[in-house]
Amino acid sequence: MSLALLVPIALGLGVLIGGPILAHMARQKPVERLPYGAMMLVQRLVKRLRRRRRLRDLWLLLLRALAVAALVLAVARPEVSWPGDVPEFGGTGRVVLLVDDSMSMSLRQFAGGPTLFSQAQADAIALVRDLPDGARVGLVRLGGGAEALSGSLSTDRSRLLADLASLEPGFGRTDLSGGLRLARGLLEDEPGEVVVFTDQAGPGVVQGAAEELERLVERGSSVHPRIVEAGELGNLVVSSAVYGEGLEGGTITLQVDNFGPAEIEAPVSVTLPDASEITAFATVPAEGSARVQVTVPPEVPGGIGTARVRDPGLAVDDSRAFHLPRVGASRVLVVDGDPGSTPVRSEVYFLERALAPWGEVRGGVLPETVAPAGLARLDPDVHRVVYLANLSDPAAWSTDLVDFVRAGGGLVISLGSNVTADRYNAALRELMPATLRKPRSLVSGSAEGGVPLVLPPVDDPLFAPFTRRGRRALEAVEVRVAWTLEPYAESDDVRTLLRLEDGNPVLIEHLVGRGRVLLWTSTLDLDWTNLPLQAAFLPLVQRLTSWLGGEAGMSSSRFEGLVGERVSVPLPDGGGDPRLTGPAGEELPYTVHPGAEPAVRFLPTTPGAYALQFEGSKPFARVAVNTDPLESDVRVGLALATIEAELKPELFLRRAELGLWSIWLAVALLALQGVASRLLGRRITPK
Amino acid sequence: MSTEVLTPWEPEVLARIHHLHLVARHVVEGVLHGAHRARRLGPNVEFADYKEYSAGDPLRDLDWKVMARSDRLVIKRYEAETELACTLVLDASGDTGTGDGAVRGRLPPEGSKLSYGVALAATLAYFLHLHGEPVGLIVLGGEGVEQPWIPPRGGRQHLSLIFATLARVRAGGTAELASGLSQYAPRVPRRGLVALITDFMEESTDWLPALRGLARRRADVVAFHLLDRRELSLDYDRPLVVFSPEGGDALPIDPGGDRSEFNRVVSDWLDEVRGSVVGQGGRYFPTWSDLPLEDALRRAIQGLL
Repeated sequence: MSLALLVPIALGLGVLIGGPILAHMARQKPVERLPYGAMMLVQRLVKRLRRRRRLRDLWLLLLRALAVAALVLAVARPEVSWPGDVPEFGGTGRVVLLVDDSMSMSLRQFAGGPTLFSQAQADAIALVRDLPDGARVGLVRLGGGAEALSGSLSTDRSRLLADLASLEPGFGRTDLSGGLRLARGLLEDEPGEVVVFTDQAGPGVVQGAAEELERLVERGSSVHPRIVEAGELGNLVVSSAVYGEGLEGGTITLQVDNFGPAEIEAPVSVTLPDASEITAFATVPAEGSARVQVTVPPEVPGGIGTARVRDPGLAVDDSRAFHLPRVGASRVLVVDGDPGSTPVRSEVYFLERALAPWGEVRGGVLPETVAPAGLARLDPDVHRVVYLANLSDPAAWSTDLVDFVRAGGGLVISLGSNVTADRYNAALRELMPATLRKPRSLVSGSAEGGVPLVLPPVDDPLFAPFTRRGRRALEAVEVRVAWTLEPYAESDDVRTLLRLEDGNPVLIEHLVGRGRVLLWTSTLDLDWTNLPLQAAFLPLVQRLTSWLGGEAGMSSSRFEGLVGERVSVPLPDGGGDPRLTGPAGEELPYTVHPGAEPAVRFLPTTPGAYALQFEGSKPFARVAVNTDPLESDVRVGLALATIEAELKPELFLRRAELGLWSIWLAVALLALQGVASRLLGRRITPK
Repeated sequence: MSTEVLTPWEPEVLARIHHLHLVARHVVEGVLHGAHRARRLGPNVEFADYKEYSAGDPLRDLDWKVMARSDRLVIKRYEAETELACTLVLDASGDTGTGDGAVRGRLPPEGSKLSYGVALAATLAYFLHLHGEPVGLIVLGGEGVEQPWIPPRGGRQHLSLIFATLARVRAGGTAELASGLSQYAPRVPRRGLVALITDFMEESTDWLPALRGLARRRADVVAFHLLDRRELSLDYDRPLVVFSPEGGDALPIDPGGDRSEFNRVVSDWLDEVRGSVVGQGGRYFPTWSDLPLEDALRRAIQGLL
């Protein structure tokens, strides 16, 4: 609070204060003198009263001086100013209303009560109705990207009220910065008043608008926050849902955040793509987080699942869509190209056991071993991975295999003595990462052992499990015979995953369509390598299977998006016009962005699972769209007024002239000193 | 204030002497009858009573006749008929010249504490004279007094001298009780009566040692405390500047303001004076100047008897 004087020259009258002081000091004494025979007693009385009397005299003097000072102050017209919470509204006649219709405004003020948005909407309508005639008003909404609802400032209040009444809170984030920019445009860079109806929720929302606020204030405008706040209600939200793969299915780890002031125990339900539901309970501390894990069944189709936690405050962000890979998927078709005379002599004897070490019942991978003719049973809807083990002639099924891989399937080709280079190079040309030459013995004569592997890089996600002890297991693998390949170029589609120490590639990956092909240039039995007997064999087979069948399969088709933000999905070749469906299965419009890599673009308006698919085929892309996590944080952040007060503190000053009060004060003090003077003057005055 | 000494032949003094005679005679005759009895018991003169002999009693007081008849040892006691030398000590300091109705310039101011004190002293002197007791006078302070000390004697001429001295005394100067009493105490007869007529307007710590000196001489001190009711109740209707006739600073007072506190001061002071006098074996008589002189004399005689 500060004090200023409108007529400071009047302070010169302050010399009048000397008047009462002089009068006090030269106080008139009684005139009549009387000889008195008990002066000793009077002196005793004076001694007794001296201290009390001195204090009383001091008060009297003080009162008189204050009375004169108050009179002088009244003439000088003092004005008191103090900082207010918000700038004073009114006066310019040019007003822009910024109404926050972001997701956080759907928070209820109390359980079962109205939402913050309805309160803000009512406040805005009341303000518009109270505006003086002739005031020009504009309207901007802030949710999910600011939008000006009026092209310019207008006096048409009925239309503005209709626009206000039609607003509803959405799922988007608060675009305060954009709103202030639009307000500046509506004001045409001239001074005006911007009234912001918001909850100020979300970290960084206000800070992000600081620059625009500064520009607005620099142009002489003022911003008037009208804050709507909830009571004790907080908000629970599933902020992340991550699937962790395991040999026996896996788990989904959910993180539940509590943006409220009290600890809450809430049920969390997870709906899997096959509509099955798993429920768990989470105890989330106040303004903290809790992790919840749910175990998924051994076999679940891939797709988009939903995790939901309920709270009474903000319901629109209770669900979170997340991608779930095909779990336990991997029904694997193993084509045995060299059955042998006994099972143990079979080409796939070790492979079968590595794929299903606990048998079919408990295994996450379900192998189905067939003779070459069994390839006719290949079903893209059932099988995720196909192993061709030393198959002599795949020509009869080459088309099926190509379609299978293009659609996202995984194919592992292991070679052997049955393989004929010409047949493979011709029939599987589209799938093979390189052209086969011929088998070659890597050791001389009957020498024992073979050529060891060059250990793969640990940062390759495919070999992520082979760290530490698993890595040492790979060191024991040796290859004695392997097919040689025509020189090939490494590219985005073709890469060598494993090499032998002599430089020969032994495992090559080839991306085809939405699927992958892995070429193992040796055998999967003991004929050309000791791999099946090594500790690394089982985890390597499991890893390759899950890589092809779940984790890596269709990986290019998983997308994440936020409500209110444009989503772009690359458009695969040769499928025609795809179809976009929303969370409720409704068909939605989209645009195709042309160019070298054409893409489908659309703007999701609600959270949930979106899918893009060609007619008659499975979705080639799934998009999990969620609400902005920043909007779920309903805690009030930095105040808009705080930044504005730093930018232009004078906007917040309240002023009041104290002229009349000073006069009354002076009169009161004069009366008081009169009474005090009369009372105190009746006492004996010591000299 | 004039320090002129008035001679006994001046008309005003003669009139005052006559007045004092009349006042004293009127008051004494109106109040007293009978004789004054000596307070001391001693040898000879008049038999008083018997008492059982105890070791240390003089053998000459044994009643031999009673012993012969009854074998009892008894002592004969006698009441002494002695002269009671009385010294009147009159405080005539400036402060005693004030009081309700005091008129400046008169001898002494009528209605003042001193005039009351003078009348009281004259009355006492006359009373004692009637009883054949020697009377003396000491005037402390005051003006117009040629002989501030008159030793105790009997006779009409001596009484006239005392009356003449009292008639001429005027208030003035300072009493200085302490120094005055100390100065005259050796001249006061031992075991005599000292009638102290004063307003005690001095700090008790000053005069108390002198009073103690009188007590050591076995003097029978009777204090007549001259009090003016108006002065001690601040019974004035408007603010005044008061000053002491003895000098010192003048002080403005507003009687209505601190009367209650002043009453407490007065009460404390009276207790203090009474305690000091009684503490030294003396007798204390508050003597309000607005009460009839007969009352004061009656109380004094009762005290003296």
